[in-house]
Amino acid sequence: MSSGKISPTSALPSHAGKPLLDIDAVTVTLGGEDAIQSISLCVHAGEFIGLIGPNGAGKTTLIRTLLGLTTPTAGTVKRTSTSVIGYVPQRGNLYNAQIPISVLEVVQLGAYGNRAVALKALEAVAMQDFAHKPFTELSGGQQQRVAIAKALASDPDILLLDEPTTGIDEQAQRVFYELLRSLQQEGLTIIIVSHDIDTVLNLVTRVICLNRTLLYDGPPENFEANKYMPQTYQEQHRILHHHHGEHHA
Amino acid sequence: MLDIFSYSFMIRAFIAGCLIAVTVPLLGNFLVARRYSLISDSLAHVSLAGVGAGLLFGLTPLYLAIPVTVGGALLLEWLRQRQRLSGEISLAILMSGGLALAIVFANLAQGSNVDFTSYLFGSITTTTSTDVFVLSIATSFVTATVLANYRAFVHIAFDEDSARIAGYNVSFLNYLLAALTALVVVLSLRIVGGLLISALLVIPVVAASQFTKSFRGTVFASLLIGLLSVIGGLFVAFYAGIAAGGAIVLSALTILVGCMIWKKTA
Repeated sequence: MSSGKISPTSALPSHAGKPLLDIDAVTVTLGGEDAIQSISLCVHAGEFIGLIGPNGAGKTTLIRTLLGLTTPTAGTVKRTSTSVIGYVPQRGNLYNAQIPISVLEVVQLGAYGNRAVALKALEAVAMQDFAHKPFTELSGGQQQRVAIAKALASDPDILLLDEPTTGIDEQAQRVFYELLRSLQQEGLTIIIVSHDIDTVLNLVTRVICLNRTLLYDGPPENFEANKYMPQTYQEQHRILHHHHGEHHA
Repeated sequence: MLDIFSYSFMIRAFIAGCLIAVTVPLLGNFLVARRYSLISDSLAHVSLAGVGAGLLFGLTPLYLAIPVTVGGALLLEWLRQRQRLSGEISLAILMSGGLALAIVFANLAQGSNVDFTSYLFGSITTTTSTDVFVLSIATSFVTATVLANYRAFVHIAFDEDSARIAGYNVSFLNYLLAALTALVVVLSLRIVGGLLISALLVIPVVAASQFTKSFRGTVFASLLIGLLSVIGGLFVAFYAGIAAGGAIVLSALTILVGCMIWKKTA
């Protein structure tokens, strides 16, 4: 820093680290329609970003574009040359083939086969005792922790999670979110896509709300869910109130 | 010594059978894991078209079947990757197209002294020393290529997106796996026959997966089950005087049923 050059991050809030991902005016057209339209944003080291938006808002398209799995129709995605993204996909029929795959083997996929690295990643999510179990014999919450271990095994700068808690019970969700919080405190940059607005607002340092175009990008304190996602927000709160009503009855 | 080993044709059959028994299930693990095991059936039908063309033009059938089948495999993979047709439809079209060509070529080649049905159901006991030599080189090549790309193939079989993110050239590796499968299918024609190949590709893998807990474990167990099926099948075929291809597949099926019963009761 003695060269006197202005650091590129000097214009950013003091908590933000160096930029890892720079998305500039990205549009992705799928089947003749714009799935996302002219999205620009920059991801900095150490951020915990919640990516929210209604169904069909283009969240998964944006993620696939960040990962390089989808090529933008217009605009650019720039990654710093060294940045590695660890990806935790939506829970689906992953690793659920006719043939069993052990927990350690799943994590080794992320570590280019390195057993020691994989075992360390399993320790980081407290799943080392399950290393030799078939992946499909684990509970949903355990499977998600293993998926994180696999992502961590690639020594990522950014952890990207797509709806990671879908179909997992509340207790396991709490454990899962605690794990994410501690990973972020250790310096990992995290982007999480979620339907669960309230949880995301309590967890993250930055909210990005998307509905094909960028609706909101800023701190969670200023995000008005009712304004940007009225339908989704009201639905979640109706369910919440419904449950409360039952408790009172 | 058992009298089965006093015949040199049976010794050649055992060597050829064991080479195939190890190579076919090895590939089968990756194909079953990605729910693509029917590819072997389609490619077997395409290979029969190659055999038919060989008979028609008076060329060694297997040597013509290799480029025809590898070409069919690359075409299938191209259709699948471009998604012009779903995988299932591409397989069905290639399968019927291959068999139709095979029948026409075989009809036109009538009068040739090679028995076409030996390629449908296998004729392991007619394996020549040259066949064994070619088979050992080809199976070594396939095995070495699979082992060299083992990690990438496992990654793609279970999580193609993640393999792409990890930097593997997934498209090329998919073409490679299809081409290797084509090669193995042609090599198995004389052993179990075109109509029974997929059995040797799938059954040992499924039988192994009944009691294993990892992919690596399944690979090892499927190779052992493949070997047991071929050796058992050849013994039964020799002493009962029945077709070797059928006996091998029935041995594999017996092992599969045994494994399933064991799993139920365990």
